[in-house]
Amino acid sequence: MKLLLIAFRNLLRNKLRTSLTVLGAAVAILAFVALRTVLSAWSAAADYAAQDRIATRHKVSFVISMPKHYIESLRAVPGIKQATYMNWFGGKNPKNPNEFFATMAVDTDSFFEVMDEIVISPEHKQRWREDKKGAVIGDVLAKQLGLKVGDRFTLQGSIYPGDWEFNIVGIYTATRKSIDRSSFWFHWSYLNDSLPESRRDQIGWITSRIEDSHRSAEISAAIDRVFDDKDVQTVTMSERAMQLGFMGMLSAMLKALDVISVIILLIMMMLVGNTIAMGVRERTREYGVLRALGFEPGHVRMFVIGEALALGLVAGLVGLALSIPIVELGMGRWLEENMGAWFPYFRIDTKTYVLALGFSVLLALTASIVPAVRAGRLSVAHALRRVA
Amino acid sequence: MSQAIIDLQKVGKTFYRGKEPIVVLEGLSLQVQEGAFEALMGPSGSGKSTLLNLIAGLDRPSSGQAVIAGSNLTDMSDGALAKFRARHIGFIFQAYNLIPVLTALENVELPLLLQRLSGAERRKRAQTALRVVGLEERMHHRPNQLSGGQEQRVAIARSIVNDPTILICDEPTGDLDRKAADEIINLLEKLNKEFKKTILMVTHDPQVAERATVIRKLDKGQLQ
Repeated sequence: MKLLLIAFRNLLRNKLRTSLTVLGAAVAILAFVALRTVLSAWSAAADYAAQDRIATRHKVSFVISMPKHYIESLRAVPGIKQATYMNWFGGKNPKNPNEFFATMAVDTDSFFEVMDEIVISPEHKQRWREDKKGAVIGDVLAKQLGLKVGDRFTLQGSIYPGDWEFNIVGIYTATRKSIDRSSFWFHWSYLNDSLPESRRDQIGWITSRIEDSHRSAEISAAIDRVFDDKDVQTVTMSERAMQLGFMGMLSAMLKALDVISVIILLIMMMLVGNTIAMGVRERTREYGVLRALGFEPGHVRMFVIGEALALGLVAGLVGLALSIPIVELGMGRWLEENMGAWFPYFRIDTKTYVLALGFSVLLALTASIVPAVRAGRLSVAHALRRVA
Repeated sequence: MSQAIIDLQKVGKTFYRGKEPIVVLEGLSLQVQEGAFEALMGPSGSGKSTLLNLIAGLDRPSSGQAVIAGSNLTDMSDGALAKFRARHIGFIFQAYNLIPVLTALENVELPLLLQRLSGAERRKRAQTALRVVGLEERMHHRPNQLSGGQEQRVAIARSIVNDPTILICDEPTGDLDRKAADEIINLLEKLNKEFKKTILMVTHDPQVAERATVIRKLDKGQLQ
């Protein structure tokens, strides 16, 4: 206990240097927390995916469509409770084409049966059913685009070219974190009926709710067997696997973020290591005195390591204390409101807190190994003479 | 006649600068009796500090034999030497060498951390040592809040707190004015006479050396 006290007090000898080191390391921890939260927020859709939902798409890729009549065959597969279908529309806001939000043509009759975590008033739901040009949007998107029920809105099609006019008839929220609250949903029939004959009756994928989530693999295989001898074969997977498939397209970028977060920690380690090494150099004579009093090399190493651990712990705690207002309350709220399609739920998770604090202490410990070993090897007579 | 608590037989110490040997001590023999108060004088570079280091177990001789308080230090491991110092040696340095982030009491407690003692027992013993040097009322002051003489008294309290056999003093009054130096030497005398500590003191000050019972002179690695 006494040794730890000395380690803490040693840190306060050069307050400016310690403060700058703590601040530098805390900023590194802050950056680490921000990057890890980006990564975890990105995978939130997969992490919080419904266990009892599976998705069926074209065997080759989800960008290739399937015949609409597949939905009927699929609904007949034992174990399927409900199924709905949708197409990725790829619409843009003509006033701001760079702004991304998901636009999908969905089957209004079955959509809410399968996606039961969507919260929408019965009145809005009814109005949507009645208006073929009606669209339902998430509350985050409504805020972002400044839209309210009763407004008209035009989407510019990219996969389906042209200007598409809609009436905003409902605004939804969600009870599940994985649900993007900045999506734009409209009638599949509006899209289908507007297409030339050759492009009609094609659907992007089917989402089904199953009776028993433990039978997900078995039911998925049964679905795919139904279409095995057809021209278009399917692949069915859990909703989580489907989400991970979407993320797979961004795997290089996610990997890069992962690597950057490690580099940031290495920078922090060098910063702490430098401060510890300077402290050891300055206190060579004191270590000599301790050795003269009978302390062994192991004790001296413990002093150095204790100081580094104290520095790592303080830097980690300061970094986490900064992360809450900056990453979660500042950056997180802004991203949820303005980039909800990418980050529907941007919060620092407990694992990130633990990782950040753990790495902070562990890297400080690692950074102190070389200075500690050197301090332990000091010749007592030399250490006492050196600064005398 | 009491037995020699410090017994050096034909001790030599050679340092190397690159491959060039520098002989600091050569064939030196010395016996100091238990309870003695001896002063060691000599010009700079005469080998006084090297001799103190060998006696204190901070270094090992290159040749000869050093038996201190019954322990042969010649072939001791670093760990064994550390334990020997903790048990038998109390150090008093010219520059006091207190740990600046600790209070006087905490500095005095330091050597006791090596013993299995409760915090309360450590504090009690450290307070007793500070009382012996007359600094009990300053126990919660840090070194930078004390005068040079007071700092040296704290260092003396630290050196005696674990009741060592020998006190090694390396110019204990070198940084002090005459009045403070007299107080320190009075204190060392008291430790020698009342507490029966064997004291070996290096000094350049003849007035301080005169207070010892024996004065030895060292020159070019040889006792005169």
